[in-house]
Amino acid sequence: MSSRTRSALLVALAVVLYLAPFAVGTEYRLFIATQMAAYVLVAVGLNLLNGYGGQVSLGHGALVAIGAYAVAIATVDHHWSFWPAALLAMLAASAVGAVMALPAFRLSTWYFALITLGFAEVVGGLLTEWRELTHGFAGVVGVPKPVLFGHELSSLDLYWLALTLNIAALWGMANLLASRFGRALVGVRDNPVAATASGVSLVRIKMLAFVVSAAMAGLSGALYAVQKTVVTPDDFTADFSIFFLLVVVLGGAGRLWGPVVGAVVFFLVPELLAALQSWRMLIYGTALLFLMLYAPHGLVGAMDVGWQHLRKWLGLPAVTPPPVVATSRQTVEPVAGEALSVQGVEKRFGGVTALAGVSLEVAAGTTHAIVGPNGSGKTTLLNMISGFYPIDAGSILVDGRSVVGLAPHRIARRGVGRTFQTPRMLPALSVLDNILLGAYPAERQSALSATLRLPVARREQAASLADASRYLDFVGLADRAHEAAGELPHGQQRLAEIARALVGRPRLLLLDEPAAGLSLDELDRLGELIAAIGRLGTTVVIVEHHLELVANICSSVTVLERGAVLASGTPAEVFSHPQVVAAYMGTQAGVGQAAS
Amino acid sequence: MDPDLLVGALTAGSLYALVAMGFNILYRPTNVFNFAQGDLVMLGAMVGATFITLLGLPWFVGAVLAMLAVAALALLEEKVAVAPVLNRSATGHGWVITTLAVSMIFANVVGLCWGPDPIAVKPPWPLSTDTFEVLGANVSTYQIAIVAVTIVLVLGVEAFYATRPGKAVLAVAEDRDAALLRGINPNRLSSWSFFLGGGIAALTGVLAAPVLYASTGLGPALLLKGFASAAVGGIGNNRGALIAGYIIGLAEAIAASVLSPGYQLAATFAVMLVILLIRPHGLFGRPEARTV
Repeated sequence: MSSRTRSALLVALAVVLYLAPFAVGTEYRLFIATQMAAYVLVAVGLNLLNGYGGQVSLGHGALVAIGAYAVAIATVDHHWSFWPAALLAMLAASAVGAVMALPAFRLSTWYFALITLGFAEVVGGLLTEWRELTHGFAGVVGVPKPVLFGHELSSLDLYWLALTLNIAALWGMANLLASRFGRALVGVRDNPVAATASGVSLVRIKMLAFVVSAAMAGLSGALYAVQKTVVTPDDFTADFSIFFLLVVVLGGAGRLWGPVVGAVVFFLVPELLAALQSWRMLIYGTALLFLMLYAPHGLVGAMDVGWQHLRKWLGLPAVTPPPVVATSRQTVEPVAGEALSVQGVEKRFGGVTALAGVSLEVAAGTTHAIVGPNGSGKTTLLNMISGFYPIDAGSILVDGRSVVGLAPHRIARRGVGRTFQTPRMLPALSVLDNILLGAYPAERQSALSATLRLPVARREQAASLADASRYLDFVGLADRAHEAAGELPHGQQRLAEIARALVGRPRLLLLDEPAAGLSLDELDRLGELIAAIGRLGTTVVIVEHHLELVANICSSVTVLERGAVLASGTPAEVFSHPQVVAAYMGTQAGVGQAAS
Repeated sequence: MDPDLLVGALTAGSLYALVAMGFNILYRPTNVFNFAQGDLVMLGAMVGATFITLLGLPWFVGAVLAMLAVAALALLEEKVAVAPVLNRSATGHGWVITTLAVSMIFANVVGLCWGPDPIAVKPPWPLSTDTFEVLGANVSTYQIAIVAVTIVLVLGVEAFYATRPGKAVLAVAEDRDAALLRGINPNRLSSWSFFLGGGIAALTGVLAAPVLYASTGLGPALLLKGFASAAVGGIGNNRGALIAGYIIGLAEAIAASVLSPGYQLAATFAVMLVILLIRPHGLFGRPEARTV
């Protein structure tokens, strides 16, 4: 299906949904449809957080409750109009939620699940306890219908309002997910280390997803309050939060349309569930277990697979997205490389000394190699320069400024790019999207302009795409751009990872054993690639065992052994140094050299 | 401060610490935080109450049978809901949802089988829940026993981690693949830890039953307070969990007497959030070394 027919179909669907009430609308059906639309709003937001960001929230029902009560209390007790009250609902849900989520986001994913579970219990308790505000068990009665231009909205108007909000939410969500924020969020879920190395602050991106989803839950609560006209604590039990999680998992977590499909299925079988009221939670639990075990991508994921099988069976060709072509052949702009200065760096892991006072200097714009036997501390040093390990003693200056104590994503944003010994790709994303992740620190667009697809965001995205395509071509992977990165062979993942680091236009690039596992052909390409990166002006520090490669491309070399510098100088000097020869050839040679 | 308050806080805090220790036993080799742990405790209380109160078996026989039954269920949980998800992705978090689903299934099956009425359980002879006065506080011999047994169990489990099999557990927690290369079978350790974690959970439930009654409501409450103790004490640190359990028990008791019992949970939750905000890895925890 081309994107044009797809858009046409979606517009047609929207028109049908807007006009449907004239043909089949009854008061009851309108009520149900509006309620479903309100739930879809919550589920779409939860999908951003849970499906894409991998953060399980068991408290979204409580956020809906906060939104519903905010509107009910503001309109009934304080006589606000609906519109500012709806805004209040969104603000209240995201603000209360953010305070609750902040400690959890600094920790492992499951903390967040438990803290949201506790949060839901606490909010549920306060709804009855805090009588002065919430009116206790009786709840708030008589929420007025919204008034627009002096006209009180009918149930048909409310349905249209809810439908419009759904369409806007899905459109905005699709835009947000296609932007730097969507890729960063998937990075948080699938490979936090890669995301961090690309300059993504994990806490901030999780918080962004959470605040967006909480605001949507609050807005849904606002709709809920005016639609039901009564809000009571009984509406918001613990099941309510689990219900939203199930809607997302059933429909397809991490699929844009998943929550919509999940909600529709739920509302198509209400009779069945009504009959089995006392078994409901048991059914929810069993459904969650089976879905997670056998259909982790839910109904939408299953439909995708089914659709591909059907096409194959019918003999239709596989859908191929247009190939990536580097749009402009103009030369890449030169980079002002950063000098690196490491002084007396020490690192201990428990009783093991990994680095015992290592110093090295790399001039701006040069290519420097760190070599040495396994376990000599080469990768540890890279991890300390890029901030992944805290430093025990010593100093590290990049471009004359200390980076000690900075979080790794901040160091990345200072222009320090890196790759890893084992390539860190986001396996579920395409190769192109993986490389675009690298553009995260270079892009400046806000989440709001990305969601609204403002011209400024579109221009920047087009520029990043052009950049990414060029680097993809540069490393020779243009024809694999749309394949899932997890499907690439090892060597190509390595090259793709280098391309990802390059898109961010690093001024200092750290490469950790880039040649390991490459074929001879790929090795030649790598040599050319690093030389070309150096010519751009980027400072390159490379940890490598392949000495021929090092001799060809590096202007200086540092040899580490057991966490200390054994020798440093030009490749020719270093590789004829007797102790270096000893370290590489074994102690026998070393003893001989020392004796002579 | 009212001395009775302190006694209640220490007793409740000991039970929370035991729940937290169940979490930790499971967490150490698997890095899985079992969302069904609260329900395993509840199951222990229900099964124990059935054997002891309804069938009239001696206390110790009932306790051991309950521990075996719940341990077997925990093992089943590991095989059905945890191992398949971990096999798909060892670092993924699918187990958050699957263990939560197991918790929902346990809670509702128990609700269907036993009904909503709580069952009273008598403590084993010669202990009693009748209180007497010591230093101005009303204490029962059973409360003293709970506090003492908890301390002994925590020290016992900590001593186990110093032995060779205990170190194997810690090794698997640190690096699953490296432990595998050293001849440790991580999958077998995972199964064992679920079995033991289930047993500890059941023991906690049986111990809690005389003071809290055996009912389905036990699960969610103990899940959250056990988690709060484990998090505040530092995940994996059992001595920390014991201190944290007391802190949570005390916060709860003070909130109930100063504010109102309705604000108990909110106050406990707030205490936990503030502590985690200041010390993300708990009072006695250390940040996990990042592996790059």
